[in-house]
Amino acid sequence: MTTGRPLPLPVPAPLALPASLALPASLALPAPLALPASLPLALPAPLPLPAPAPLPTPVPVLAPTSSAAPLAAPRSGQRRVPLWYAAVFPALLELPDPGAALRPLIREAQHFTSLVSVEAPNALLLEIRGSLRLFGTPECLHERIDARWRALGLVAVTATAPSTLAALWSARAGEPVVLDAPAALSGRLANLPIACTAWTEERLRTLRALGITRLGEVLRLPRDGLARRLGPTALFDLDVALARQPAPRRAFVARERFRARRDFETEIDSVAYLEQALAPLTLRCADHLRGSSCGVQSLQLRLRHRSGPLTRVHLGFASITSEQRRFTEVLAQTLTRLELRAPVRSLELVSGPLETLSAASRDAFAGSGGISRRDTAEQLVERLRARCGAQAVYGIAPVPAHRPEAAWRKVCEPVGRSGAADPPCAAPARKVSAPITGAAAGGMPRPLWLLSEPEPLPAGAAAAAPRGLRLEQGPERIESGWWDGKGVARDYYRARRNGGPALWVFQERHSRRWFLHGLFA
Amino acid sequence: MWMPRDSTSLAELLADARVWKLGDASAAPSRPVWPTGRRALDARLPGGGWPTASLVEVLIDDSGLGEVQLFLPALVRAQSIAQVAWLVWIAPPHEPYAPALMQAGVDLSRFLVVRPPTATEALWAAEQALSSGVCAAVLLWLRGTDDRWLRRLKLAAETGGTLGVLFRPERHRFESSPASLRVLLTREEPDFRLELLKVQGGRPGLVESDRS
Repeated sequence: MTTGRPLPLPVPAPLALPASLALPASLALPAPLALPASLPLALPAPLPLPAPAPLPTPVPVLAPTSSAAPLAAPRSGQRRVPLWYAAVFPALLELPDPGAALRPLIREAQHFTSLVSVEAPNALLLEIRGSLRLFGTPECLHERIDARWRALGLVAVTATAPSTLAALWSARAGEPVVLDAPAALSGRLANLPIACTAWTEERLRTLRALGITRLGEVLRLPRDGLARRLGPTALFDLDVALARQPAPRRAFVARERFRARRDFETEIDSVAYLEQALAPLTLRCADHLRGSSCGVQSLQLRLRHRSGPLTRVHLGFASITSEQRRFTEVLAQTLTRLELRAPVRSLELVSGPLETLSAASRDAFAGSGGISRRDTAEQLVERLRARCGAQAVYGIAPVPAHRPEAAWRKVCEPVGRSGAADPPCAAPARKVSAPITGAAAGGMPRPLWLLSEPEPLPAGAAAAAPRGLRLEQGPERIESGWWDGKGVARDYYRARRNGGPALWVFQERHSRRWFLHGLFA
Repeated sequence: MWMPRDSTSLAELLADARVWKLGDASAAPSRPVWPTGRRALDARLPGGGWPTASLVEVLIDDSGLGEVQLFLPALVRAQSIAQVAWLVWIAPPHEPYAPALMQAGVDLSRFLVVRPPTATEALWAAEQALSSGVCAAVLLWLRGTDDRWLRRLKLAAETGGTLGVLFRPERHRFESSPASLRVLLTREEPDFRLELLKVQGGRPGLVESDRS
C-alpha cells in the first residue's frame, strides 16, 4: 500500500525544516532562505504577491522613474504588497549563540503576526500587512512592536518598508523609517550606505573602488554592467529591495517532538522488563500523535545508566505512523537484539520530527490494535529490518545500462515506490529500461542469478569454448562503458556443462579469456 | 452387501463429495492453486498447480538447475491476480538479477530480498513474511533446519495464505517433513529430473518432462 504523502512543495503549512534539536516543543531555527521567487511559500493566504515585474533585459539604467511601472499592482486596490517590519538586535552579536537568543524573541514577535522570519544572525522580519486591520496604521503597529522590545529591555533598530530587504537594510543602517508606498522605496534607499546590504566584502570592495558608497549610486549603474561586476545576485537583491521582485520568506514554525521520560526506583537489567516499562510511554506517544494528527517516522530510545554514556536505540518505521501497535512491534524486535551494557536507571522516548499524517496513512482504527488482522507491507518491512538490520532488507530495480553488472540496483525504500514517494531517479530508470530489456528479450535471456564478480573459467583445448562447456546460445556482444574507465567488450553465451545447469558465460574480446557471470536458475 | 442401484453411474458416484479421488487433477481444490506452466507437473498436483497457503519443499544440490524457473510462472500469475502480492526471497544463494526478473514479468515494485545474518533469523523472517498476509509467495534458501521450524513455517503459510517454498540440500531427503509437497530435483539432460517425494492428496513419483 502506498502512503500518499503530499508533495513537499505545495503544502500550505510551513515547510518542514531540518532540525537537530530534541527539546519538547522546542524551537528550531530555520535558516533564513533567499528562495527563488517561484517557490510557493508560507505566506498568509490573503496576501498575494505582486507579480514579478516584466523586466526587459536591456534596461540600461535602474533609475527611480523606472520603478513606477511594476508597481501598478497596489494602486489597483485589489492586490496588496506585503509590508515588512525588520528588527535588528545589535547586542545579540556579542553572544556566543545569537540564534538561541533570538528564539524567545520570535515568540514575542509572533504576538503581532504569524509570519515571522529569521534573518541570521541577529534580525527578524515580520510581515505586518496582514495584521494592520487589528493594529491600525503601519506607524501605529511599528510603534507597538518597538515598545515591546523596549519593555523587554532590548535595544532594537527597526524599520518598516514594503520589501524585505528595504526594511532590513534601513534597520541595519539605523534609519527608523516607516514606509508604506513602494514608489518611495528607491528614494529612501538611495541614502543608505552600501555596507548595510551585508554583501560580501569582496563585492563591497569592488563598489568602493568605483567610488560608490551609497545605494543610490549603485541603483544608477547600468544593469548589465552591474550584473557583470557584482554577479546576478546583487541585481536580484536590488530588485527585491525595490519590491520589483517578490521575495517570499519562510515563516518560522516551532518544531515539536514528543518526549517522555521514566525513572526507575531500582535499576533494570533485563530487556524483558524494559519492554514492559516502555509500554505506557509508547501509548502516550501514540495518543499525543493522534491528538495532533501527526505521525513520526522514527523514535529514539535513550537508556540512562548509573555511569557511562547513554545507550541510544533507534527505531525506524517504513512510513509515517502514529500506531502504538507498530511502535511496540518494532520496539520488541529491536530490544531482542539489544545487549545492555549496564543496568538502566531511567529511560526516555524521544520522537523524530512530527510530520503530518497523509490521508492514506490515517486509519480510522489506527492504534486500536487487533482490528486489522493483516499487516501491511510497510509493517512487514520494518519488522524484518528491526531484527535483521536495515541493510538486509531491500528491493531491486533494473537500471538502463548495457553492462550487465550495472543493469540493476538495490532499492532501499522498497515500499510505496509506485506512489508519490517515488524517488525521482527511479521513475525514468524504469521507463527507459523497458526498451532495453525488451531488446534483450528478443535477443538473449538474462540469468536469474548474477555472480557478484565474474569467475574465471579454464580455457578449453579450442579457444572457441571454455573447457567442459557447450555453448548453446549466443553470442550477444556487449560493448560499453569505455567512457568511465570500466569499459567492457564481451561476447555473452548461454552455456551448459554436461548435464549440468545452464550458465551465462562470456569471453573477453581482448584477452580471449572466459568468465562465468550468471546462472539460469 | 450393499450394491449401487443400476441408475447410479460411475460419474455420479465420483461427484459425491465423500469420495476422495486419489491423484485426480480434476478434483475440486480446497484452495486456489497456481498452474506451474508444465502440463505433466500440473496433472500430478492436486488441483492442477502449486498449492497456495502451504509449504513446498524443494530438495536440490546444484543451484542453477532451473529450480526458480519452476516457480516463476506461478509467481508472476499470483502477482497479477492478488491485490497485495509481494514476493519475498530470503537468503538467495546469489544476487537476484533485476533484468531477468523483469523479462520473466515479475513486478519488481513488490519484490523484496532479505539477507538475514543467521539461519535462525532467516527462518524467523520467513515465518513473519509467510504469516503477514501481504505476500503471494516466500522463497527461502536454507542449508539445514529442524522439523520444529518447518512446522512453524507451514503454520505461518496457512495463516497468511501464502505459498512458502523452501530450498534445501538433497541430504534432507530421508528426514520427515511437514511440507505438503516435497520435490526432488536432480541433474539430468536437458535440464532436470523432477520427482515428487510427497504429495498431499496426490500420488508421489517421477514426473515426465513435457518439453518436447
